[in-house]
Amino acid sequence: MNHQLFHIFRNTPVGRETLLQSIYFCNQVGIAPVIYIPKHAKFLMYFKNEVVQIDLDNSYLTAPDTAIQHASELLEQGGFKPRFYTPKHYTASTLPDINTEFDYMCCPRSISDATSKITLGNIGAKVRKIVKAAFFPVLLTSPVFKEWHSITVFFGGSANAVNALRLGLQISDISGMPLNILTRLEKKNTRRDYEKMVQDQNMEDRLNRHLNKWLFFDKGKFEENLYDVPHDSFVVLGAYGHGLIRNILFGSKMESIHSTIYNNLLIVGPNYVANRLSL
Amino acid sequence: MSIFKSWRNPFKWNFFRSDDRLLLILIAVIVGSCSGLAAVALNRSILILFDWLHPFRHYWWAFILPAIGAALSSIFLEKIVNEGAGHGVPEVVYSVSSYGGLLRFRSSFSRIISSCLTIGSGGSAGPEAPVVMSGAAIGANIASFFSLNDRQRIIIVGCGAAGAISSIFNAPISGLVFSIEVILGEWKASNIVPIAIASVAGTEISRFLQGNSIAFAHHNFDITFFDIGASFGLAIFTAVVTIFLTRSLKTVRGISEKIQIPLWVRAAAGGCAVGIIGMFLPVVLGEGYHFIGSMINENFTQGLLVVAIALFAKIFATSLTLGSGGSGGIFAPCLVIGSLAGLTYYRALAIIYPSLSWVNEGCYALLGMAGLISGMLQAPLTGIFLIVEITGGYNVILPLLIVSSVSTTLCHYIEPASFYLKALVAKGQLLRPGTDARVLSDLSVPELLERDCLTVNQNMRLGEFIHIIKKSRRNIFPVEDEKTGRFLGLIHLDSIRSYIFNSDMYNAVFLWQIMDTDVDKVYPDDDLSEILNIMDRKHLFSIPVVANNKFIGIISKATLLDQYRKELMVQTLD
Repeated sequence: MNHQLFHIFRNTPVGRETLLQSIYFCNQVGIAPVIYIPKHAKFLMYFKNEVVQIDLDNSYLTAPDTAIQHASELLEQGGFKPRFYTPKHYTASTLPDINTEFDYMCCPRSISDATSKITLGNIGAKVRKIVKAAFFPVLLTSPVFKEWHSITVFFGGSANAVNALRLGLQISDISGMPLNILTRLEKKNTRRDYEKMVQDQNMEDRLNRHLNKWLFFDKGKFEENLYDVPHDSFVVLGAYGHGLIRNILFGSKMESIHSTIYNNLLIVGPNYVANRLSL
Repeated sequence: MSIFKSWRNPFKWNFFRSDDRLLLILIAVIVGSCSGLAAVALNRSILILFDWLHPFRHYWWAFILPAIGAALSSIFLEKIVNEGAGHGVPEVVYSVSSYGGLLRFRSSFSRIISSCLTIGSGGSAGPEAPVVMSGAAIGANIASFFSLNDRQRIIIVGCGAAGAISSIFNAPISGLVFSIEVILGEWKASNIVPIAIASVAGTEISRFLQGNSIAFAHHNFDITFFDIGASFGLAIFTAVVTIFLTRSLKTVRGISEKIQIPLWVRAAAGGCAVGIIGMFLPVVLGEGYHFIGSMINENFTQGLLVVAIALFAKIFATSLTLGSGGSGGIFAPCLVIGSLAGLTYYRALAIIYPSLSWVNEGCYALLGMAGLISGMLQAPLTGIFLIVEITGGYNVILPLLIVSSVSTTLCHYIEPASFYLKALVAKGQLLRPGTDARVLSDLSVPELLERDCLTVNQNMRLGEFIHIIKKSRRNIFPVEDEKTGRFLGLIHLDSIRSYIFNSDMYNAVFLWQIMDTDVDKVYPDDDLSEILNIMDRKHLFSIPVVANNKFIGIISKATLLDQYRKELMVQTLD
């Protein structure tokens, strides 16, 4: 259990649900949570080629005197020794730098978008930036804690989708949960083409060991197809497989999935590197 | 789409593949021009706002103008763009030191707007540092767009800063020298060439849009031997004023931060106080270049006492503006305070030694500016070249060299770090290229981790352990808990040598009896400088690394120093 998930704790009922999801994820995947209790409403994350400023809403600064106690209780209940992250460096006196050397990060669905408190909303701009820049996959939790009993990977054949499938297989391997794959047939590709993509990546043997079912869709809207995702499944998907222009014109699959299903999502961005730190 | 993708990575172009310096020069032209434009935009907008508000300055309530400007500036920075106050130069240096020059896109415009509001409304601050921040951020984002690496991005950040300073002062050499002396801290040909090109681009943009005018044109000065001698005294005086200004800024900021009121109210209160001072002494308002001109041209007719009062009033007003949360830099106030200091010194000298023939008070105002800038920035070359370029003449070069170098030395003696770098030095965050701290900061524990240690458990007998020793090439063995895998301690071969050669002990001794549990250990996110300190202090050659209470490897001094050498070679490669 040397890998770590970075979690920004919000000392509110919503924050409790999010932390419970993170703890559950850590237990399933065999990693340790590291909790950050913000003292300022913004922080910076310096990635390799980009710096992202995260502007939190004020709910993240709620009741700081009880935040450590509440987070510790939840972590201990989950079987973890509480470990809190304290920023070592500051770009400005109220602007801490947060380490980016984590293996996973849990983000609220939208960090600073007020609408996300009542609905799923769109993925916030900052979360999108983190997903795009980070080496690690980003966990977006469902609004209320729920256990998951299977892994569902969205596989569309892009490089990010291949990474997502590899990660899904890894989680399935560690957690022992069955793996489902959902593919929407596009660009005149057939079922056989997608299977060949998996073969080309030398994942066939592992897939045979873990695969429960592989669903292919060629009819109906993409959002309608999402009904087939089990409500208690953990969803892994690649993001930004296409360029900006294509996303603007035709929309993004990630946004569709995010705004349609309430499952926990693990998003693999274009800069994801598996086991980068490999501690 | 592939055309757009190749744009983002010009290193793939055949033209640049031969020599990446060509690409840096091309990007330097773009960055220098953009930062030059930003500087002109700020300069013009301050002038427009200042002129627009000028008719209102005759009313009794005019003192609230700087308050409104400071409050709006603070609200803009805190609530709209979510950035901290301050001029931003330390942020640029910090980014260059620690993060390969990465800067937020919003910084490329935020300080321009906020400092325009502060200075244009009458706040006592300068536009130079904000425009340096802006130029540097423009450079950083353009470098990121072109997917440049850290070393190249740092040079381009320097280009942005140089272009901005060159443009705002119409002084290309000052831009180049400032960027290398203050921002990068590294004089290397690979830095100088693109930064020089950016300085030229920034200056040309300024000349094209604003005309090729020298800020403080003057008559020739006839420097005498007495003036050379007196310049030593002026250097001491400007050093004292510099220290006073530094302390005053720190004190006002300290007091201001203790007052628990919203930042914009605090900024407004500071602006209000400046407005009140400005009603009696207009020299404290805004950037004050107009008054510098009149001092150099000997049109500042007030007597010694008024000049001395104006000197301290300007120091106080600058401290109030910047310390209370207004946005702006220290460059322009330093020039005004320096010229007032020079004037004060000259007039005192003229009273004490009326029979000697001194050059004139304009020359002393110039020298005072150089003394203040050099002392405050602890960057003597910047002070010298800036004064030479903005006054358009070399005939004061001898006393200029004396004042700049002596003032810098004295200030460095009393305040070891410059105004810009003080906070970074205090936090140990100033990591100049090629220094020990910088080399170590570019290495991390995971990079140096050695994982070939064989672990043992506490319930193993010595006899079994002997077999493990045979397989290992290490002389230390981490002991883990048999059930949980928790790191319990270490066994050093040296400390158990007496047991190893006694076969009677093989079945009688368990490892928990001979292991060392009082072991220094480090964590993956620890700084290597701290780890090296522990190893030096405790005379250790290796130290275990633990994550989540589990042993994950060791850091050895040999590997660390080996990597250190490689990193140093990379960093100092020209």
